[in-house]
Amino acid sequence: MSTVSESLDGSSRSLSAARRHKSIRKTSRRIYSAYQDHQEGSSDEEDKVDERVDSNDPEEMFQNIQYQKEIIANIRTRPWPMRRKLKVLKQARETVLRYEGRLTRTRGYQTAGADLLKKLSRLLYNIVVLFIPWEVRIKKIESHFGSGVASYFIFLRWLFGINIVLTIMTGAFIVLPELLAGAPFGTTRSKTIPKEHLSSAQDLDTIWSLGGYLQYSVLFYGYYGRVRKIGSAGYRLPLAYFLVGMAVFAYSFIILLRKMAKNSRLSLASASDESFTFCWRVFCAWDYLIGNPEAAESKGAAIVNNIREAIVEEQEKKKDTSLAVLISLRILANILVLLSLAGSIYIIYFVVDRSQRLEKEKPELTLWEKNEVSVVVSLITMIAPSAFELVAQLEMYHPRTSLRFQLARVLVLYLGNLYSLIIALLDKVNSMSSAVQVSNSNWNESSSFLATISHPEGNSLSTLMSDISLSKNHNSTTATIATVLAVTSRSSSGDVYNQTAVFEKNTRQQDQCWETYVGQVLLSDWITPEYGEFKIAENVLHLIYNQGMIWMGAFFSPCLPAFNVLKLIGLMYLRSWAVLTCNVPHQQVFRASRSNNFYLAMLLFMLFLCMLPTIFAIVRYRPSQHCGPFSGQEKIYDIISETVATDFPVWFSKVISYITSPVVVLPALLLLFMLIYYLQSIARSLKFTNNQLRMQLQTERTEDKKKVFQLAAARLQIPEAAADKKSDHEESNIASQESSNHTPSPCQNSSTTNFESPVHRGNCIRTITKSVSRGDLNRGGVAGSIRSPAVTVLPKHWLEHIPNRPPPFLGGPSGTCRSKSYHHMVYNSPPHCSDSIHSDPLCRKTVHSVHPVEAAGIITAQSYRGRRGHTTRYVIVNEHEPRKKLLRSATRVPRHYFMEEPTEIMELYPRNVRRYTPRNAHSKPRPHQSHASQQHPSEEDEEEDQGKGRRKMSLGKSHRPRSPSNLQQPAHFYIGDRLETYITISKENHTAQGRYGAQDVDEEENGVGEIACGDEESHSESQANVRVVDPLLLQTRCHIHSPRRQYLPQTRARHVEPHVKSKSKQKLENVQTESDSASLASSSDQQNSSNDQYIQVIHNKERYLKSGARQGQMAKKKSKTSFDLKITESNDLVCSNV
Amino acid sequence: MGNKQTIFTDEQLDAYQVSLFSFPRLHGRYHELAPHLVPMDYTNEPDCKVPLALIVNMPELKENPFRNRIVESFSEDGMGNLSFNEFVDMFSVLSEMAPRELKAIYAFKIYDFNVDNYLCKEDLEKTLNKLTKEELTPEEVELVCEKTIEESDLDGDHKLSFADFENMISRAPDFLSTFHIRI
Repeated sequence: MSTVSESLDGSSRSLSAARRHKSIRKTSRRIYSAYQDHQEGSSDEEDKVDERVDSNDPEEMFQNIQYQKEIIANIRTRPWPMRRKLKVLKQARETVLRYEGRLTRTRGYQTAGADLLKKLSRLLYNIVVLFIPWEVRIKKIESHFGSGVASYFIFLRWLFGINIVLTIMTGAFIVLPELLAGAPFGTTRSKTIPKEHLSSAQDLDTIWSLGGYLQYSVLFYGYYGRVRKIGSAGYRLPLAYFLVGMAVFAYSFIILLRKMAKNSRLSLASASDESFTFCWRVFCAWDYLIGNPEAAESKGAAIVNNIREAIVEEQEKKKDTSLAVLISLRILANILVLLSLAGSIYIIYFVVDRSQRLEKEKPELTLWEKNEVSVVVSLITMIAPSAFELVAQLEMYHPRTSLRFQLARVLVLYLGNLYSLIIALLDKVNSMSSAVQVSNSNWNESSSFLATISHPEGNSLSTLMSDISLSKNHNSTTATIATVLAVTSRSSSGDVYNQTAVFEKNTRQQDQCWETYVGQVLLSDWITPEYGEFKIAENVLHLIYNQGMIWMGAFFSPCLPAFNVLKLIGLMYLRSWAVLTCNVPHQQVFRASRSNNFYLAMLLFMLFLCMLPTIFAIVRYRPSQHCGPFSGQEKIYDIISETVATDFPVWFSKVISYITSPVVVLPALLLLFMLIYYLQSIARSLKFTNNQLRMQLQTERTEDKKKVFQLAAARLQIPEAAADKKSDHEESNIASQESSNHTPSPCQNSSTTNFESPVHRGNCIRTITKSVSRGDLNRGGVAGSIRSPAVTVLPKHWLEHIPNRPPPFLGGPSGTCRSKSYHHMVYNSPPHCSDSIHSDPLCRKTVHSVHPVEAAGIITAQSYRGRRGHTTRYVIVNEHEPRKKLLRSATRVPRHYFMEEPTEIMELYPRNVRRYTPRNAHSKPRPHQSHASQQHPSEEDEEEDQGKGRRKMSLGKSHRPRSPSNLQQPAHFYIGDRLETYITISKENHTAQGRYGAQDVDEEENGVGEIACGDEESHSESQANVRVVDPLLLQTRCHIHSPRRQYLPQTRARHVEPHVKSKSKQKLENVQTESDSASLASSSDQQNSSNDQYIQVIHNKERYLKSGARQGQMAKKKSKTSFDLKITESNDLVCSNV
Repeated sequence: MGNKQTIFTDEQLDAYQVSLFSFPRLHGRYHELAPHLVPMDYTNEPDCKVPLALIVNMPELKENPFRNRIVESFSEDGMGNLSFNEFVDMFSVLSEMAPRELKAIYAFKIYDFNVDNYLCKEDLEKTLNKLTKEELTPEEVELVCEKTIEESDLDGDHKLSFADFENMISRAPDFLSTFHIRI
């Protein structure tokens, strides 16, 4: 099955043209059947059949071929066993070949060509893979040590790629032009080695420290000429130099951000990170790539740790007690870290400053004084990370988190130290550049301090700073920075401090065995002979730091990227060799995922921080006066304005000046801020909606679950309910009626149940199930919010409440207006019941059932159904009405009701209370309707019987609704009338007629009547359900109320006409009289009562007479005939409409 | 692989390449496993199978705690005897280029120890014990199993159907990179 569906998916996806679908379906049927057949014989046969079929239709054939090709293309992704794949493939190819032969030859050639192309591309891909640097090596590492270790190398390779691009940029636009077209070596001052250094320029140590010939080469900024245009083509080297310097940053930023964006897209799912903590730790923990026993061992240990941590976390989550402690601990830890960071930065700055002071004051420095800076710095870099690690234990973070914190802190430490050094350096540069203005004479010495370093006589050079200060290289300050950076980066450790140490020892104490020191440093960096864990994180940090140095120095030393490329190549081989030969992956596995943005975020951070000093130097300081492309300028960026001014038309420079003026820049900045804010808020809202959707999905699922459970429960309950009903029915016909009523009342679906109730006797279970489902629908429909709670509860209550609940509860349960109405009804009903001959138990049952319904939500839910029912009911009414209408012209009313019902339902809630009764009426009408149907054949008899029964009832009931107050409220009258009518209708088929009659009367009486009726209808429908719940009540009420109305309608058919007229006129009178009696029953239903009164008065006579005699018969008839009534009603509607 | 020449018809080779994510060297490796069983000449598609015990000893699988399950779930008989086609199939699915959906299907099969199409508690316990070499205490295993089911069980049947599993695995950032064997 799954294969079929999948392949169907594939096919539908691939085949875009809708017109193809037919043929595809055919072919797919063919094909799938073939796939699923494991017997080749049958599939072959099918193929042959297909051939015959398809041979005539080239279009279809073509589509078939296309489809087969799809299969061939997608066969890899099918989860089939290989044997089947091969078979299917063979088959598909055969058909393709066969059919294609029949199509045009060109198509055959085309496919042959495509095949060839595919093969070529495959070959090409294989070749390309060969050229992806270190692909094989990385794969090898990956398969031995898992993707975690490999991620380091992949990161390294990515950095390598970036550096290649940077190298090309600087090489192609700066170095090469300078070499080709610039002034040759030795022609200008900046390109000549000073005489005093010439002798040592080729010394190894000089070269190693980037002095001598290296210093006066394209490696450094100082070498580049200041000539604006070089070569015959007039290449603007200085401009290019500046632009490339900026482009390096721009490119790095863009590439980094793009990579990060891509990664975050890849790891979209991991945004909701911890939702599958345990699952991922179990199912995704093992790295299937691991093939090395040691790696497997450590991976296993790591997994155990991981799972244990998760368990601990889970347990801690449960505890939640130590939260305050934890937070305070973390705050404390962060304070400690901050303090140590600040302390280390201060110490470094202090030491640097002190050493500078010492240099100035003392001609000779002690060993300690000379090495102070480097020692302090290396001490800090050594101690601080372990201190951080200790502090991190305080925080009790997840290991991965703590590792990140650790890395970030170490990075900050490095940067802080670096910055303090750089700031000190810039201070020096600053003083130098200001000194340059004073005395510009010693340009000879202006060559970088490296020259002086190479001087054995450079006595006073204890530190870099001192070097700079003493050498008085006023001009080449930038160059010195460049060289410093170059050296640091080249020395590969990225440890500036080590480098400074190297410098010191290098410069001053050649006999102090600095080679050993450098050797040590380099060895520790380049060669890692120790047999230990391969610390991915630290190595990555190293790479990042290194790259930062490149960015920082690229402007001052265009060849830095090239050096870095070399270094990275070296690193790659060195590390991979080290890993493969003697290293075991770090136990604490760093997140292996390639989509991890943490490295990249750090790199971005680094890029930004490294860009700052460079930009600062470019903007702030005066370039050296005698070397470099910008010599002679006040500021480096002047090259741009100069170019704009001289080489562009006037208008352009004007435009530029406008653009750079605050008038434009400030608004642009503001705009940017606004844009950022806007985008961020959008992102936030998207995140929010994302969360919402996820929550929705979650609840949806749980809802589905609940629904399934409910359905199951309903199925279980239904039989019980059915049994109850049956028993009731069996007891007596009345009982059966009641049961039908009862069933609806508890359920929201009352209307449906009511309808079914007559059927109940036959199939109780079925009806119930239907009702439940309808109830669900209703829930989903309008009243959803209200209903949902009620609905879910209803079925259960239903079953439970119906049997046991006492009558008093009826009034109690519902707090809403409806409940009141119910109460009234209930109260009335019991007496009525007794009056009407209906057995008390029945009444109680009905009442009980109503109460379970309790919630308003249920009612509303029912109302929807009720509306449907109402329409039908109305129809019924219409049926009766036509007779009445003929007399009264009530036909319009029903239409109005229909129209109004849906809209009014919402509004009429207050009226709903009244409407409850109407619903009862509806429910009643069914039985009554049934009677009515019966009535049609023998209407009079039934009506009479009912009327008798009702009359009796009405006598009892009539007292309730009738209240003098009703008279005062005409609008209420409508409602009341309706209610009454409903009740009456519901109670007896006559009610329908009664309604019409009543409604008609209302209409006649008040224009409002239509609306009210509509409202009532809707309400009545909704209520009807509830009311239906109390069939007994309804009946009883009907008897009570209906007698008035029901009798009216019933009689109306025959008698109503006169009654109605008389009613309308007599209403006031009757109302008063009846209201008194009715007031007992429904004080709240005053309005209704007023209307009822009119009707009632009329009906009462009839009903009283009929009800007494007929009640028992009526009930039976009603239940039986309810369906018929509906049907008949529909017919009537047509009539009425006509 | 090596100096021996395996023989396939061009058609066979082509077919394999189309239906596979990685064919190179596969037959060589397969042959190496049981030189006496597996002929070099595959033009007639001989019917031979390599038993589980031999396959599991491949260096690529040797360290894998689920090696037996992997081989079993790819074998048609469920016992771990792989024909060449199944062998190829296994490494095709585990190759880098196989799509996530395909991998998820087989991952589910692998973790479904009792082959009832559900990951029930029993399966999870076995998975965990294999993964951790039974270093976790029974209580811990119990807790992890419960949590795992709780996290991804969407239909409330207290076991993971494939839908549950796929939903979970499709969000796992590491699944693609780790459910992957390079040969």
